[in-house]
Amino acid sequence: MVKADQIVCKYIHLNIQGIEYRVFYEEAGTGIPIIAQHSGGGDGLEWHFMLNNPEITSRYRIIAPCLPYHGYSLPPESEEWWKQEYRLKKSFFMEFELALSHALGLDRPVYIGCYVGGNLGLDLAFDYPDEFRAVIGVGAALSSGQPTLDTFYHPNVSNHYRMVNSFYFCAPLTPEKYRREIAWCCMQCAAPTTKGDLYYYFYEHDLRGKAQFIDTSKCAVYLLTGDYDPTISVEDTLIMANQIEGSKFTEMKGLSHSSMAENPPVFTKYLMPILDEIANQPTKK
Amino acid sequence: MAIIEPIEGKYIYITIQGIEYRIYCEQSGSGIPLICQHSAGSNVLEWRHMLIDPEITSKYHVIAADLPFHGRSIPPEGISWWKQEYKLTKSFFMDFQVELSRALGLQRPVYIGTANGGFLALNLALNHPDDFRAVIGVEAAENAGPATMDIFYHPQISNDFKRGTAMGFSAPANPEKYRRAISWVAMLSAPPVTKGDMNYYFIEHDMTGKCPQIDTTKCAVYLLTGEYDPTSTVEDTKELAKKIKGSKFYEMKGMSHSGMAENPELFKKYLMPILNEIANQTKTV
Amino acid sequence: MAVRFIDPKNTAAYKDYLNADPEFKIAARYMTKDVCIEVGNTKCIVKFRDGIVTQIKSENAFADPWDFAIRASEDAWEKFLMPIPPRFYDGIFGGMVRGNFRLEGDTISAFSHFWAVTRMLDIFRELQNK
Repeated sequence: MVKADQIVCKYIHLNIQGIEYRVFYEEAGTGIPIIAQHSGGGDGLEWHFMLNNPEITSRYRIIAPCLPYHGYSLPPESEEWWKQEYRLKKSFFMEFELALSHALGLDRPVYIGCYVGGNLGLDLAFDYPDEFRAVIGVGAALSSGQPTLDTFYHPNVSNHYRMVNSFYFCAPLTPEKYRREIAWCCMQCAAPTTKGDLYYYFYEHDLRGKAQFIDTSKCAVYLLTGDYDPTISVEDTLIMANQIEGSKFTEMKGLSHSSMAENPPVFTKYLMPILDEIANQPTKK
Repeated sequence: MAIIEPIEGKYIYITIQGIEYRIYCEQSGSGIPLICQHSAGSNVLEWRHMLIDPEITSKYHVIAADLPFHGRSIPPEGISWWKQEYKLTKSFFMDFQVELSRALGLQRPVYIGTANGGFLALNLALNHPDDFRAVIGVEAAENAGPATMDIFYHPQISNDFKRGTAMGFSAPANPEKYRRAISWVAMLSAPPVTKGDMNYYFIEHDMTGKCPQIDTTKCAVYLLTGEYDPTSTVEDTKELAKKIKGSKFYEMKGMSHSGMAENPELFKKYLMPILNEIANQTKTV
Repeated sequence: MAVRFIDPKNTAAYKDYLNADPEFKIAARYMTKDVCIEVGNTKCIVKFRDGIVTQIKSENAFADPWDFAIRASEDAWEKFLMPIPPRFYDGIFGGMVRGNFRLEGDTISAFSHFWAVTRMLDIFRELQNK
């Protein structure tokens, strides 16, 4: 019998905003469902450390999808997608998570997301508090300004740019094998996706004046940010945490922008208490 | 009820040339094992139509795996792969198929490969006739080079370049949705991979003088080449077929270099008689 | 049929058509290059400035500079422009492999902007057969 991970990968057809998508997802574990959303230009591969951790999968059913246009979720066949520049919209992003949750029959799953995915967690807590029992936002903030994104999608810039960025978005003591793996995975993406995802991140995500209305009695909010992260600083996340009553913020020492993937054992140290707390909450109906 | 396709993907561990690789492998169907090898810079998505086609999966156990460094088979932990430029060698390419087959406990599977994979079919028939009951080389030729493909791996050339070339490697009358999907998948690979794969295609693969040694009584050889293929032409494959006694060659009208992915319905017209013939042969063994 | 994109009567309209195409607009982003398309002995220069085609010049262009050139015989271009081209004339890269088309000059730039170039030629095919 060949040695294999417990992860199982499948393709599910989801209807989102009237269009059918063939969505790739991978899952492992049994118990409380967690939807794990990858970062901008990313892939469910980011969550493998969690999918392969029996300490987590013994109590949680983790589902890590690839957003359409990412990884093994191709653009939709029915659309002439090549006639427009790819752009991730907040409404689509949220509806994707809901469609996945409903299609798999998940009961108020936990949601965890990183950066682009992290910010979405907060948007979900604001707009759909009844759909998720908790959101865990890694590297999340109220808003992030509106810089130019052109260099992320340019004919004269190869995917090496993404690789180098990711490599240096790891904290100094990151074990080399993890840095290299992140760098490799970041090189593998279709040219337009990073910029398109960052459109949501920089131009559509904005919880200023709204964060204080998030009801953590319906949907718990947990925030994790790495102390080395130059893009979303610990201070940025704290500003938001202070506005969301009942939210819990933890600074992750020795982690930067690539957080869970750059040092899974260290990240898991910060994640486990949160998962334990969620698991120990009485189930709401 | 959402449709979930019958494909199951797993991450399995295979040792090849002394190094352990974590390989992503999709399977569906039952019956005669059929290993499907993707082309250069591509991944298992190339075979997605095969994996969900009941006409095939009712008789064949279809297996498609990502070569290391492709798709979800990320680089191995055991080597400092970042210290060398990625290059696919003939010996590794062959050993991968053999070890994959062994790891999954397959009994003399059928092998089908496109382009790079099509070339490999000939090497497998020559070097491993006892390990495969038949090989189907799609877009195969005696040799294609030598040639250098530095432009596929250049810091000033983005992955959008691969989008442009891929469109030219599918025939003009084939459905646009399939041609566009091929161009998208071609963009997904990490920058060094397409060029590295071409090391096998343009430099290492050379069957000159060796074809008469292929014993088709042990391992049947089927050759399919698209009318439009510019790199491995119908004429090239016809010449090749003459040199392999007992081989069978079919020209695929209206097809080019991209095999099943460019027009699954049309490709099947040519593929099914071969699969049926192999299945009937198997019954008499 | 004569190659339409080098006919001086068409060049202005073809330029506008290119700039209005949604896929071309994405593909041609940031492109500032002079692209020479040689049809037999006729030299046609397509001028891109920051992603927009500012001119298609097919008359008296003998001294106009260019960054990279795609050259082929008139017969090769006529085949390329057919609604369903014959094999080896259906794509530029494949055509280069088969020796029916030649790419010269700053080929790195050509490959950086390959998507824009191939989309432009596909549009010329659409217009040829309109």
